[in-house]
Amino acid sequence: MKKFVNDPAQFVPEFMKGIALANPDLLDYTPEFQMIVRKSGVDNAKVSIVQGSGSGHEPAHVMAVGPGMLPGACQGAVFAAPPVDACYETIKKCASDAGVLVLVNNYQGDRMAWDMATEMATAEGINARQFWINDDVAVEDSLYTVGRRGVAGNFFVIKACGAAAEQGKNLDEVEAIAKKVNDNVRTMGVALTSCIPPAKGTPIFEIGDDEMEVGVGIHGEPGRRREKIHPADQITEELFEAVSKDIPFNSGDRIALMINGLGGTPITELYVIYAKAHELAEKAGFTVVRNYVGEYCTSLEMAGASLTILRLDAELEALLDAPAETAARIF
Amino acid sequence: MAEISQEQVERAIKTTCATVLRNEHYFSDLDGLAGDGDFGTSLATGFRVIDKEWDQIDKTDIGAMLLKISMLVSKHVGGSSGPIWGTGFMKGAMLTRGKTAISLQDLADMLGSAIEGIQARGGAKLGDKTLLDALIPVHEVLKAHAAGDQDPGATLRDAADAADKAIDETRSLVAHRGRASQVGERSSGTPDPGIVAIATILQDWCKDRGIARTPNAAEVAKATA
Repeated sequence: MKKFVNDPAQFVPEFMKGIALANPDLLDYTPEFQMIVRKSGVDNAKVSIVQGSGSGHEPAHVMAVGPGMLPGACQGAVFAAPPVDACYETIKKCASDAGVLVLVNNYQGDRMAWDMATEMATAEGINARQFWINDDVAVEDSLYTVGRRGVAGNFFVIKACGAAAEQGKNLDEVEAIAKKVNDNVRTMGVALTSCIPPAKGTPIFEIGDDEMEVGVGIHGEPGRRREKIHPADQITEELFEAVSKDIPFNSGDRIALMINGLGGTPITELYVIYAKAHELAEKAGFTVVRNYVGEYCTSLEMAGASLTILRLDAELEALLDAPAETAARIF
Repeated sequence: MAEISQEQVERAIKTTCATVLRNEHYFSDLDGLAGDGDFGTSLATGFRVIDKEWDQIDKTDIGAMLLKISMLVSKHVGGSSGPIWGTGFMKGAMLTRGKTAISLQDLADMLGSAIEGIQARGGAKLGDKTLLDALIPVHEVLKAHAAGDQDPGATLRDAADAADKAIDETRSLVAHRGRASQVGERSSGTPDPGIVAIATILQDWCKDRGIARTPNAAEVAKATA
């Protein structure tokens, strides 16, 4: 294992400390619960959206905290759900008179932790509910889920709900936005290499130099099939086909198109994929209104990418356009 | 009406810690017969934290204490046992907020709510060969005594009997939940370690309160020897 790691047990607290130190004006960090919240605090007139899941998917979760995005989030160990007390404290810390919407990616561990935390918070008089995200078309069930997994489409749910909350929409309305995005977003990924959780020290799955895993999960869970690697365009076609036929998307749809890197693939390669995906979208009669190329939901150093399509309407377009600020910035 | 004091609840939890830690290996061995052999260790990991942090646990009232225990159990007990046992404690906590003493009926209500919560969390039902097969008959005992003699000693003895009996009654069943369900017929003939744990805890509670009771199932005898 070649990684920038000190004590593997300190990996998560150390990266979180780094995020906090790099964003002193934006974020507050509570090490005890591996929780990061907006420095500006909670606005009681606005719905709070919180999230929390395993680490190793950055910038997903804690790095999505900021104005126009999440008020707060907590992290578990690498690829493990956050503990119930962290979830509970995050809801409490972000509790708003307008209510709390917990956006949970559909994994059994996450669901159990947030279920309990939401119930405890409700007993405290906090108006909190959950919404489950499940955009991955690859498999119906996997090692960690009952039903489809939540992957990169999560970003769009956070972005749209964050903007809706910022506009002062109420809890029912924000939840309806979450549902609209989740109903209209689909993703599938492909892995070229495995990844190594620091505490494990060995690859999470084996894959040959000439192989790829089509439909891989963001924890290295098996996808649809193992294949010999193909040229980039052919892989992109495979992903586009699986994603675009799923809802299905229709000619004339206005869409957001995302090519998300899984952590070990350079942005250069992501643009090779984007070029083909954009072309395929136009050929299918879609209008690409917005595009997202970069890392939004990763799997440590896994080489690979996922393709996400979100069908837009005027409301969602406006919500995606709304300003937002997070720790994930490059300028 | 017979009252159960917060001190008695605290004592029961301390006794439970001792039961679980003493049987760390034995409960894992039992789990290894059909499951993945980590039940004892998983449970002990959580209860060891409770034992260690006992003095810092909020004891303002029974509810506050059980809520903290619920979080520690959910966080530190490994595998699916964490959320399942944690849910049980959480449901108990919800019904005892602000209370420093409870009636037998309260206790019955707490267990009833815990059973519902565990069923919702894990999807198991009576006869699936899980700890519910011990908890459900114990709940019946609590309800009957709460409506009847209200004698805490007799209630505890009968509760221990009910859980103990569940071990042999479910021994021949095939597990339908948890890891043991994946080996199918092979789980038949082995005791469920969750049921054994509940029966052993109740037997130790009896012993702690000086209630004479001879274990019925061989596993409880061994775990309390």
